[in-house]
Amino acid sequence: MVATAVGGLAVLPSWATRWTPESLRATGPMGGLISSAETNLLAELVETIIPATPATDPSKGEIPGAKALNVHQFVQKMVADCYDKAAQDTFRKGFTALDEVAKATGGKSFLETDAAGRLNVLKQMQQSTVPGQKEFLSLVKNLTIRGYMNSEYVMTNLTHYEMVPGRYKGCVPVAG
Amino acid sequence: MSYFNIDAAAQNTYDAIVVGSGISGGWAAKELTGKGLRTLVLERGRDVRHVTDYPTTMMQPWEFEHRGQLPKEVRDANPIISKCYAFYEGTQHFFVKDAEHPYVQEKPFDWIRGYQVGGKSLMWARQTQRWSDFDFDGPARDGFAVDWPIRYKDIAPWYSYVEKFAGISGNKDGLASLPDGEFLPPHEWNCVEKHFQQKIAGKYKDRHVIMGRAAHITQPQPIHLQQGRAQCQHRTICERGCPYGGYFSSNSSTIPWAMRTGKMTLRPHSVVHSIIYDEAKKRAVGVRVIDAQTKQMQEFYAKIIFLNAAALNSNLVLLNSTSNRFPNGLGNDSGVLGKYVAFHNYRAGISAEFDGNLDSTTEGRRPNSPYIPRFRNLLKQETDFLRGYAAGFSAGRISRADQSGLGADLKQGLLNPKLGGWYVGSHMMGETIPKETNYVALDSSLKDPFGIPQLKIAIDYDANDDKMVKDYQEQMTEMFTVAGFTNIRVRDDHRNPGLDIHEMGGARMGNDPKTSILNKWNQVHSCPNVFVTDGACMTSTSTQNPSLTYMALTARAADYAVKMMKQKSL
Repeated sequence: MVATAVGGLAVLPSWATRWTPESLRATGPMGGLISSAETNLLAELVETIIPATPATDPSKGEIPGAKALNVHQFVQKMVADCYDKAAQDTFRKGFTALDEVAKATGGKSFLETDAAGRLNVLKQMQQSTVPGQKEFLSLVKNLTIRGYMNSEYVMTNLTHYEMVPGRYKGCVPVAG
Repeated sequence: MSYFNIDAAAQNTYDAIVVGSGISGGWAAKELTGKGLRTLVLERGRDVRHVTDYPTTMMQPWEFEHRGQLPKEVRDANPIISKCYAFYEGTQHFFVKDAEHPYVQEKPFDWIRGYQVGGKSLMWARQTQRWSDFDFDGPARDGFAVDWPIRYKDIAPWYSYVEKFAGISGNKDGLASLPDGEFLPPHEWNCVEKHFQQKIAGKYKDRHVIMGRAAHITQPQPIHLQQGRAQCQHRTICERGCPYGGYFSSNSSTIPWAMRTGKMTLRPHSVVHSIIYDEAKKRAVGVRVIDAQTKQMQEFYAKIIFLNAAALNSNLVLLNSTSNRFPNGLGNDSGVLGKYVAFHNYRAGISAEFDGNLDSTTEGRRPNSPYIPRFRNLLKQETDFLRGYAAGFSAGRISRADQSGLGADLKQGLLNPKLGGWYVGSHMMGETIPKETNYVALDSSLKDPFGIPQLKIAIDYDANDDKMVKDYQEQMTEMFTVAGFTNIRVRDDHRNPGLDIHEMGGARMGNDPKTSILNKWNQVHSCPNVFVTDGACMTSTSTQNPSLTYMALTARAADYAVKMMKQKSL
């Protein structure tokens, strides 16, 4: 119980392997809002929204996407702790819809769909008139952006946040 | 038995008691201990030591579980405090939760409190503008409240005294309406703020845009280094507590200074129930304290008492200090105690954009902004409402990222933001008129968790405030238009009184004991060894952020109190 609450599924002891997604709902990593299977799905969803991409300088490897920065855990935490029941319902029901749209679009579940196909699924959802679908994507997308842009990796390496500026210059020329 | 009691009484006896350790209580502690008085400082909340008790001060944005946002559970449980701009994941431990200190809202009032050593001086907005005689003359000239018993000349040297120690940045602007002080270098303007200043100066003789005077050490002097405080580092997360002591707080400045004298006893978790009045000696002899942890009541004794519990709580303590001599609250022969409470009207704001100066931007951060001193009804009455407003003003440029895409497109957009144009904004700080009908009183039945009567608050806006909101919107729209700003939008958020966190009065100063509680030295007229030097003492509110005036009044009153004690007249 403590392990699931604090460390997430990766550190579950071996005796817990018989736990099912259903049994985890009640005591799951983020207050039981979604199952572990849905957590995996969420990880792929946030990675589709902000994927890993090659760095401009290829010798520097790639710029991580949302999944590698654990943004899916942030999204769950935020929905569980900071949103009302209506938003939480939209969130929970969205995963079924995600697979439904994936199957309707390409005949496969979201996880079975390739990267280009997944992006296509999200574009479909973005324009969906089925109640809840657009809202689900919008909720997850906004939180993914927030979690990604406020991650240590991005703020340290890409946007160069200054905790202690030590100065205010009122009139500096615009660079470039 | 009696020996034990005498011994206990001796142990609980001091030269002075200070109730509260916030911005004014900290000054009382510093001044009284500095003059050699053994001083007991009673704080109802927990201790907060400088640096070590600022748990979030070094936290990076990504280290906050919800990136600063408060969980819904916290917001739902605290609808009042959640309205405060400074209440977030990094500061919630410094604010009183709604359930912790209930009060009765006869009219809606958002009472924002900080119960800990340092009080709200930890989270304040740090604006420190002096009053002038345009402010002290207000009630007498315009016929409201009662005449202030002091004028600028009485307080000016004390402004200087506290400014030098606290560290106030500012520019010497030479304005009669907002006197210059002992300033450290001012913060920098940006190009658009400078543009606005020049346009306003060109159009109006009597309207000025200046850099706010703020309690930030922009250039440390020896007195600041002696306090262990260093230059402000422009982090702009002041309300979490500053490890550099870059802004003034009781915690970084007056309390440790008082502690170093060896004369101060700081007692946290000490909720003051009432002041003890001795009918035979005809003076206050001490205070009754409920220990917040044990709920036991204890008495402490002293020759003088400084009441600095924050404006409304100082009213509460006085109202709850009843005796045969004072059945309606200590010093309340006049019946005005708790009445004539006023505040600052922060309802209105304005925002706009500016297409000029696109070749320049800003760098770093600034914990301050420009300020527009009151110009309305300054020299004479010129509108259909009394008094006027000051205003904050600032301009800035933000980068905007294209968030419309998905996948690699979205990432590209997020990581390559485009510098947007300039935005400008202002908010009003209006004077409200103290009225008998804006009052606080003890509720006749409801008690707080310590068994102390709950405070009943009945404070509201009136037609004068509505007219002032409209005038601010009109005048600022005109001024923004003069400056060439576009897409001008005004607002009136109809916020409740209290959210300005500038509640004042209830135990006002005045010359006449029949219409006021305190005299010109902040002494209770009819119980002169009790001094009230926090916001409760304010006869009127004017438009300036009030803390600097509380500091100066406190230092002045402490100086007087000790002089009188030495002359044996207290």
